[in-house]
Amino acid sequence: MSSSILETKGLYKAFGGLTAVDKVDLSVESGKITSVIGPNGAGKTTLFNLIAGVYMPTSGEVLFEGKPLGKTPPYRRAALGIARTFQNVLLFDNMTALENVMTGQHPRSRYGFFEAALRLPKAHREEETISLAAKRYLNLVGLGMYADRNPLSLPLGQQKLLTVARALATEPKLLLLDEPGAGLNALEKQSLSELIRRIRDMGITIVLVEHDMDLVMGIAEWVIVLDSGQKIAEGTASQIQRDKKVIAAYLGDEEAVE
Amino acid sequence: MKAILRNKWSYLAFGALLILLAIVPFTPRLDDYTMLMTFIAINTMVTVGLCLLMGYTGQVSLGQTAFYGIGAYVSAILSKTYGVNPWLAMLIAAAATGVFAYVIGFPIFRLRGNYLAMATLGLVLVVYVLFRELGEYTGGPDGMAGIPYLSIGGLAFKSRLAKYFLVWFFCLAILLVSQNIIRSRTGRALRAIHGSEPAAESVGIDLSRYKIKIFVLSAVYASIAGSLFVHTLRSVNPQPFGFMASVMIVTMAVVGGLASIWGALFGTAVVRILSNEVLLRFGGLDIIIYGVILMIVMILVPQGLFVGLRDTYERWRLKRTRKGAVT
Repeated sequence: MSSSILETKGLYKAFGGLTAVDKVDLSVESGKITSVIGPNGAGKTTLFNLIAGVYMPTSGEVLFEGKPLGKTPPYRRAALGIARTFQNVLLFDNMTALENVMTGQHPRSRYGFFEAALRLPKAHREEETISLAAKRYLNLVGLGMYADRNPLSLPLGQQKLLTVARALATEPKLLLLDEPGAGLNALEKQSLSELIRRIRDMGITIVLVEHDMDLVMGIAEWVIVLDSGQKIAEGTASQIQRDKKVIAAYLGDEEAVE
Repeated sequence: MKAILRNKWSYLAFGALLILLAIVPFTPRLDDYTMLMTFIAINTMVTVGLCLLMGYTGQVSLGQTAFYGIGAYVSAILSKTYGVNPWLAMLIAAAATGVFAYVIGFPIFRLRGNYLAMATLGLVLVVYVLFRELGEYTGGPDGMAGIPYLSIGGLAFKSRLAKYFLVWFFCLAILLVSQNIIRSRTGRALRAIHGSEPAAESVGIDLSRYKIKIFVLSAVYASIAGSLFVHTLRSVNPQPFGFMASVMIVTMAVVGGLASIWGALFGTAVVRILSNEVLLRFGGLDIIIYGVILMIVMILVPQGLFVGLRDTYERWRLKRTRKGAVT
């Protein structure tokens, strides 16, 4: 691999006696779409939360741009350039769609209580930049016309796009997407794939956790397979599809269902 | 569209308030309410802080009267006992209350929801006992009298009218500052914390820093209100800072609407007018009536009277324009 933006070394997380992520070493190449797959309970979301800083590893470490993240809290990881979406959406229902995206600009703006309270010119200037950027990201995901809507009044597919816009507004280097395809119909999944490619083309590295095999195989340039907290395989989509261990652990079940 | 409406409504509310403030003290019969209006302003400063904390940031606090009381007593003791200039006393009180809120903010915001409510309620009870028992400084249950007026260049804010304008000046300043904060990066961060803490963190918001900051701001608002209270009334005793007062403040905020600055003012006015003009006749039963009001509002218009009335009007207008479009 040429340059990796994200690495984990011996990453290990246990909750009480239960091992969720078991000594995972992985490396995510900069500028690529990498997908983490695995059956339910494989530790995908725990891995995500370890990268985002929601959980701290029991042992091992996460390196971002070559530097160990240690105990850096999530909000500071956002400022470093790690953005994420959530499986269960988590939009701010007390704001409009546009304001949701504007909160994403938080780490890219500075002005605080004092400037806000007195409406100083600095606040005005930054607010202008924030709202322009937010509109740009809202348009990018195709929700420009819903700027003033309450996010919960949008269908699930659009809510998920809105969370992507909010994450993009933090101007990340690495975007973590947690099951973006869950609950979407075929058409929505297709436009999601296109959007993910477009984000990659903007130079943002993408890691996605996904259950939907069609979506993963269509867009992922590198696939990492987890099972019971361990990395059991990695490779290109076609390599993974031929891997016996993977078929046994995961794709086999999938085929049986179909 | 909604954002514009919100702006329009707050300009409307602000304009209407200014007109009302100019009319009341100079209109016969209405001028009887000058003193009541002054107290509404003082209470509003406390409820606005509570709205920022509870309605916008989602952090329950039953402790605002503690800060209100600290502001009142620090101001009273410094200016009366130690002869400090009342303005300076007020400033020191605000700063001291802010520092106090900051220090207790760290342990207190490890708690959430009901636990946070209990801890802040505990604060009120502790502070109340201190006011009563530290008689040497506070005058005990009887309190203190003869606290100096605030004055500018030898002119004291002594008359009913002068006090009215003084207090409303501070109240309007606090309303405007709060309005500005809500419509800013900071305001979005606060609302984001209310909306979803994990999501707020994921976009770079330092949760505990913002919670503590808004807690400190609301404490400073309450402290300023407390100082103004003692410098206009000239006396102080522990009674307005106890548990019941805490319940009153929450009732005011909830009745008006927690997630609205103007709701804080509206709710304070409604409850204050009710308690002064109507409920007095019911004696000790008033507490039951507050409870009933609180319940009815929570069940019928949980977003509060101000927001409830506003939305009802907007719906009615929308329906009318739609009908107009059809015919």
